[in-house]
Amino acid sequence: MRNLTLVSGLALTLAFSIGANAQEGPIKIGIPVGLSGANSVVAPSVVQSSELAAEEINKAGGILGRQVELVVADDGSGAQGAQRAFDSLVYQEEVDALISMETSAARNAGLPIVNRSGTPYIYTSFYEGRSCSPNMFVDAWVPEQQVTPIVDQFMKELGAKTFYLIGSDYEFGRGMLEFTRQYIEESGGTVLGEEYLPMDASDWTPILSDVRSKGPDAIITSTAGGAPNVTLTKQMRNSGIDVPYGNLAVDEGTAASMGSDATGIYISQSYLTGIESEENKRFLAAMEEKFGSDLETPNDLSVPQYEAIYLYKAAVEKAGSTDKAAVIEALPQVSYTGPRGDIQMSVQHHTPLTMYLGQVQEDGSVEVIQRFENVDPGEQCPNL
Amino acid sequence: MPLLLDIVTTSAILFIVAAGLMIILGVMKLINFAHGAFLTVGGYSAYLVTDYGFSPWLTVPFAALVGFVLGIAVERLVVRPLYSRPLDAILATWGLGIVITQIIVFAFGRGVQFAESPMSGTLEVFATNYSAWRLVLVLVAVLLGLGLTALLYLTRFGLNARAVIMNEDLARGLGIDSTKVRITTFGLGAALACTAGALITPLLSVDPNMGLPWLVNSFMLVLVSGVAIPGLALASLLLGGAQVLVSTFVSPILGGITIVVFAAILLRIRPKGLFGG
Amino acid sequence: MADFESSVSARNRRRFWLVGFVAVMALAIVYAAPLFLDRYLVNVLIRALFLAVLAITVDLVWGFSGVLTFGQSAFFGIGAYACALLATHYGFGPLWFFGAFLIGLALAAVTAWLVGILSFYHGASPLYSSIITLALPIVLVQIIFAGGRFTGSSSGISGFPTYYWAVETWFVIAGTLLVAVACFAWLFVRSDLGRILIAIRENEDRCAYLGIPVSRIKIALFTVCGAIGAAAGFGYAAFTNVVAPELGGFLLGTESLIWVALGGRGTLIGPIFGAIGIDVTSSYLSGSLPFLWKFIVGVLFVIVIVVLPNGFASLVTGAWKKFGPGRRSPASGHEHGSGSIVLRTAPAGTREVTGDQSPIAIEGLGCRYGSLSVLADLSFQGRSGELLSIVGPNGAGKTTLMRCISNGQERTAGTVEIAGQEIARRSPERVVGLGVGRSFQNTSLFDSLTVGDCLRLSRYRVDGARLFRRTSHVSLPAPALGILKATGLDRHLDQETRYLSHGQKRGLELAMVLATEPKVLLLDEPTAGLTKAERTAIGEVLLSLTTTYGLCVILIEHDLDFVREISDRIVVLHQGRMVLDGSVEEVVSSDLVKSVYSGHGTEVAS
Repeated sequence: MRNLTLVSGLALTLAFSIGANAQEGPIKIGIPVGLSGANSVVAPSVVQSSELAAEEINKAGGILGRQVELVVADDGSGAQGAQRAFDSLVYQEEVDALISMETSAARNAGLPIVNRSGTPYIYTSFYEGRSCSPNMFVDAWVPEQQVTPIVDQFMKELGAKTFYLIGSDYEFGRGMLEFTRQYIEESGGTVLGEEYLPMDASDWTPILSDVRSKGPDAIITSTAGGAPNVTLTKQMRNSGIDVPYGNLAVDEGTAASMGSDATGIYISQSYLTGIESEENKRFLAAMEEKFGSDLETPNDLSVPQYEAIYLYKAAVEKAGSTDKAAVIEALPQVSYTGPRGDIQMSVQHHTPLTMYLGQVQEDGSVEVIQRFENVDPGEQCPNL
Repeated sequence: MPLLLDIVTTSAILFIVAAGLMIILGVMKLINFAHGAFLTVGGYSAYLVTDYGFSPWLTVPFAALVGFVLGIAVERLVVRPLYSRPLDAILATWGLGIVITQIIVFAFGRGVQFAESPMSGTLEVFATNYSAWRLVLVLVAVLLGLGLTALLYLTRFGLNARAVIMNEDLARGLGIDSTKVRITTFGLGAALACTAGALITPLLSVDPNMGLPWLVNSFMLVLVSGVAIPGLALASLLLGGAQVLVSTFVSPILGGITIVVFAAILLRIRPKGLFGG
Repeated sequence: MADFESSVSARNRRRFWLVGFVAVMALAIVYAAPLFLDRYLVNVLIRALFLAVLAITVDLVWGFSGVLTFGQSAFFGIGAYACALLATHYGFGPLWFFGAFLIGLALAAVTAWLVGILSFYHGASPLYSSIITLALPIVLVQIIFAGGRFTGSSSGISGFPTYYWAVETWFVIAGTLLVAVACFAWLFVRSDLGRILIAIRENEDRCAYLGIPVSRIKIALFTVCGAIGAAAGFGYAAFTNVVAPELGGFLLGTESLIWVALGGRGTLIGPIFGAIGIDVTSSYLSGSLPFLWKFIVGVLFVIVIVVLPNGFASLVTGAWKKFGPGRRSPASGHEHGSGSIVLRTAPAGTREVTGDQSPIAIEGLGCRYGSLSVLADLSFQGRSGELLSIVGPNGAGKTTLMRCISNGQERTAGTVEIAGQEIARRSPERVVGLGVGRSFQNTSLFDSLTVGDCLRLSRYRVDGARLFRRTSHVSLPAPALGILKATGLDRHLDQETRYLSHGQKRGLELAMVLATEPKVLLLDEPTAGLTKAERTAIGEVLLSLTTTYGLCVILIEHDLDFVREISDRIVVLHQGRMVLDGSVEEVVSSDLVKSVYSGHGTEVAS
């Protein structure tokens, strides 16, 4: 009985997939994203840039002549929600690929489903690194690319020797700061303290008191986006701590809306709105035109998402079909020139990127202090 | 010295945040689990005021007004049928909290909003620079404690409220309109909660869940206090102090449960709280 | 349990058949469903089935026993983390897997047991247990956070080794677990012990004074429910291959309350459908309208709590009662001999009163509340077959005296001996064990239980209670049977007590107290609110208790005429002190008593 069902099921799927190709139905791209929860602040900008990419591709005739359809699902920024979202996208919506910016918890929870179904998955969020799957590709930065410019700046330009590290207690927070500590120590600096609070914590008083009593030369933080980042920055400014402050998790838009509290923060990004390239200017203009007053400031999460959809397009075109295995084969070989420059996920499923070190100004804008060309992501997944 | 300031200011914040919950529990014998949502409403009131360009100092009276109106509406619609079912009242107000939070999401989105602070930076006390706003909150807590005491002992409403607290049937027999006392109390409690929400925004982000983490701690403090103003002050100092000490010397994460754990133990030993009879 | 075969009545057998039939049908559905449902729905349903198991435990603890628990999610979390942590850090294989399962269950059971001991002591307010259950998930989540890399902190753990069985297999596992737990829960709540849970919910104090070990029963229930919750959590984690702190968190705890409340607390089936319905719907709406859905659930929850406290199940059962077949009017218990319960005479003399020992001896008893002294230096003895009345003006300390005799934790000085045994600091249910029966001033009984149920549960101390069965008979001592006959209650055994008259309630209460086979009977104003005829009847009953059965009856009474008629001896209390202990004549003629009562003339006249 079982076997029979299985066989007939297989036959059905086969028939269906052949039929689908012949019918030229839309190519479905699943976008699990944190519409609620910690990522809800940045999620709208990610959805917007995805919509722009899909619209542009569709206007230009689609991928292999087929239209692109986006399916957005809320992952609640956490593991439980991500499982529902991935399940729904893979098994209910039967998407051809998953392209998303998510928390590390959500990504880890979704990966088993990705692996079980063999779906190509482009992860577009910067993250703590070393997450490896034959189905997953990453077009955003890892600590090796992001942390080094800030630490170098603090130690070489500002003469900092002692550091204090504060983070949210989750994989990104810990992963980033562990790399930071290692890099600081390798460079001859000392870490006076490394403290974490849970993602939903809002009272940083005891940690800040500890910072004041230890008196570090510089502080580097790596919290979850949104509320924890804001509360930490506010409370730090309110407590009169006034040393160089590098924030690994703040984006341009959030920095701007935080007002005076954000002034002076150092950030290190692969994308800033001020990048002077044709592609970026064209991208910003198109976003402005499409979303007008509803526009969420494009940022280092929404731009990789935009580029990833084009990378997927290129891979499908190279493979000649949406066949999952063929697309996965093609993904590391294709490249796309987007707002951040030439993007190719060629190094162990990760991407060499041009990084910018910036500082938030009084008016909320970010001034680029230094630019680092094609920073290598290093050994992320040596087995891939 | 900064440690002492941390303890005092943390206690002050806890006192301010829990006061509204205590007033409602004291007079109405009702645990308001929408308290967290009321705090959030206060935060958003503050955001609205500064977003429209008014002075950040106006956030407090505006939040109080919003809270009072909200409280009266909630008492009339949800709370009134539940006086005889105290455990159900906890659940209904919890559900109400969910509803209020979702309405806020519809109105303002899920993201973090920024309310302008009335003052920022530090003040120098006892030869240390310390967060100015936290110091202001100590002053506010003291004034609030004195104000509430005065309200209870020096006004007609306070007299009626105390009568209802002691013996509601008797109070009604004496011609005190207990319905009116209750609706006023709930309005007052909600107003205090919203004010507290507005007062803590300079230290926090304004987001739809900002009030939630405060709910359980406030609840515990109020129970430990024995539902009395000096009791609440003492409970805030003791448990707030314990929280700061544990956070500083043991682990900031365990600091987060200090109040809950200590309260559970204290209530086992003294079920009626510190100042309960 | 000699007459086991007759105790399993036809009714019991019918119930077992019914439950068995439903279980088989449900299992058939569980096996067949994956063949018809699409894979996504099956995936979603597996999770929902595990959560429904959790909902059943919430219903048992809250719906049936009345303990508002926010913490059931903690046990779910413990089970889930046991699965993830052992597989991640220690090892994986059939033995490891099963071992982790047992460890999770044991850990949850121990936690629940400790929490139970902490929160269900005698005299704990219902609020206190709620506070502890609220604290529990918060503490658990912080412990998980504090675990750093080991527990994965906020991110949780995912991708640990587990059994990647086909979803159909997982569906059958989850479904079978749910059906099994639901059926056992069903048998359990319909059993003798299940009735006792309801009695505890309705009047915990009264249960304690009937000798029912309320705290122990609650702790045991909480422990078992903790273990079941952990089993559900373990399955959930093994299937989803992800654990996160939210699985053990306060929000899941409140969510489970919402499922139970919407489905209908105290119905078992309501919470199951509540959990599955809400969880599956939110999975479908998570993409399109996550916030609107949450809003709707919130609004529904508030409405249900305010206007429909028994949830949507009550709409269904209400309609069933109105329009369904075999409807019964509430008064249908009037029909004589519906046969569900048979009264028998208990073997006499389980409590021989030894001749030379006083059934009750009080020595130097005192009771203070802070600086207020309510009773001081009280000493007297009661003899077998004696009716001892305690009189005194309001505030003399009469009821306090009753409390000090029946609850070892009340007095602040002196000793109370029952048949030679010190009551020490015993809780009421254990004082009942020594042979003290107490009736109360008010007649609040267990509204939704029948007369027969009430009598059966009052025999818990002597006869125990069946875990999954309903016994068909109650053995009562002769005096209790006598009262039931005298009041005609023996013909209304199927009637719910709320429909009884005041006099019948008094009679039932007395019969229940006597069913515990006391040596000393404490009666607090048994004639209050009774008619003259009922009063006379009670008087006769009391006389027969002392003369025929040799009980020692201690009576508090305001009606001095009544006291004069039936008492053997009278103790007069005034301002917490004993002013006189003597025969009826001595007391009546005493000037001292008149002066005590001066200003209370109305009471003397009554």
